[in-house]
Amino acid sequence: MKQLSSSSCFAVVGQSVPEAPIISVVDVTMCFPIVKRYREMLLHPFHPRRMHTALSRATIKIQEGDRVAVMGPNGAGKTTLLKLIGGLILPTKGDIVVNGFSTIHHSADARKSVGFVLNEERSFFWRLTGAQNLEFFGALDNLGGADLRNRIHELISLVGLVEGAERVVEGYSSGMKQRLALARGLIADPRVLILDEPTRALDPIAADEMIDLILSRIYSDTRKTLLIATHRMDEALKLCNKVLVIDKGRIQAFDSISDLKRDRITLPQYYRRALAVGSL
Amino acid sequence: MISLLHKAGAFVVRDFRIESGYKMAFLMRIIDSMMLLVLFYFLSQLITPHASPEFKGHAYGYFSFALVGLAFARYFDLTLRMFSESIRLAQVTGCFEAMMSSQTGCITVALMSSLYGLISGGVQLLLILAAGVVGFGLDLTHLDLPATALVLALSLTIFIAFGVLSAAAVVWLRKGDPITWILGSFGTIVGGAYFPVSMMPPWMQKIALVNPITYCLDALRMTMLQGHSVVTMAKPLATLLVIVAIFLPTSLGLFAAAVRKGRREGTLMQY
Repeated sequence: MKQLSSSSCFAVVGQSVPEAPIISVVDVTMCFPIVKRYREMLLHPFHPRRMHTALSRATIKIQEGDRVAVMGPNGAGKTTLLKLIGGLILPTKGDIVVNGFSTIHHSADARKSVGFVLNEERSFFWRLTGAQNLEFFGALDNLGGADLRNRIHELISLVGLVEGAERVVEGYSSGMKQRLALARGLIADPRVLILDEPTRALDPIAADEMIDLILSRIYSDTRKTLLIATHRMDEALKLCNKVLVIDKGRIQAFDSISDLKRDRITLPQYYRRALAVGSL
Repeated sequence: MISLLHKAGAFVVRDFRIESGYKMAFLMRIIDSMMLLVLFYFLSQLITPHASPEFKGHAYGYFSFALVGLAFARYFDLTLRMFSESIRLAQVTGCFEAMMSSQTGCITVALMSSLYGLISGGVQLLLILAAGVVGFGLDLTHLDLPATALVLALSLTIFIAFGVLSAAAVVWLRKGDPITWILGSFGTIVGGAYFPVSMMPPWMQKIALVNPITYCLDALRMTMLQGHSVVTMAKPLATLLVIVAIFLPTSLGLFAAAVRKGRREGTLMQY
């Protein structure tokens, strides 16, 4: 039976693949300041703000082509880790290197390798059509002219939005918005695709379609590195070859799913044990 | 450079497409400006040409003075608010995070988000001036085009600098923007948009001395109404250039620092 501990679990992944990782998270801590209340401001105006540690001393290495399920309870630090890798926020301590570029020192270069699929439904311009949204975000990713038009055409077809592409986003269903978000994340053809709970707002059928789309059309065609935050065990098993468990801002476990199968550990068992390690 | 122009075009096209869904809003802004035009026209009928030493020896009266002040003060006010408002709107609608995850930097996003507003405001400005000339007898026959264009470019750069500073305040403080408050309505009044600075009490005149709007409006009136050329405008142009040299790099630097702080503390997307 596999023994889980926060220090031993990395070795399995690190030893199996010798190439340079596409993502290196090195001893990263992320602290968010807590806004002072009026009482604190009056009584202790010069005291520094208290900090909330969302991620503590995280170290992981992800190889090219890995599909990693990032799992953990609500507020565990999953989204914080993904935003750090995507360069949306900068770590308080430590460094993150994506495709050879530090997100702190070469943020723009690091972001070129990452596509972010946000789960925020409102992250589009609702008065524009799906195609117009892609046109705008494509321009932000330095695409233009015929290249951009062809890419939009290709992606709309890939995510199955051909019929809705010329409709304003305001009238889209949650599933259509999620497909559009996926197309936007892929527009610059990044090597790493980060998906933050891609099926959260979807009904079971739409969620299954989304999983099939990611696996059969996106991963099988391009072998992109995928980082997927999810609460769903079935989604993690279908989509990913590795699983990373975070709890209370600490990485509790990180292993390949094939190793779990070899050791006859189910994903729910693995997940519970990882959380139990964290609560010790 | 081509990439930057392409991005600028994408922002303008995006905002034009969104704005075209709200046709009445643009029309209402024009009507609002025209109402002010009418108000100042009738107000000017009550004011004698010698009401202020400002008008002595000049061919123009209070209406021309106020109209130039009104048109440009509104445009500067718009420039000032545009940057912080576009960032705040993007934060509230959830699009800011999506734009920040793209390959375009935050400063470029902030500057380009305001382009359409500046163009649309420029159209409004021209319409106000055109209405002033056609309907109310505004005399622009002395206008020196090269000098006016130069003063306008420098003035616009100054207000873009303050607009970026205001955006930095929004990113830093999240709520509350002292820059727009200071330089907005109060700044335009003290800057002599509607009344000559020489008519104001001494304490207001002291504030006007450190108010960049004063220098911009004075220079614009000199080139548009008095026909000063680039040569005779050397001193006011140098003053505007100094203001640009101080405030543009400072505001861009402060904005970059505010964005970095927001990224470090995770508050960039919060509002």
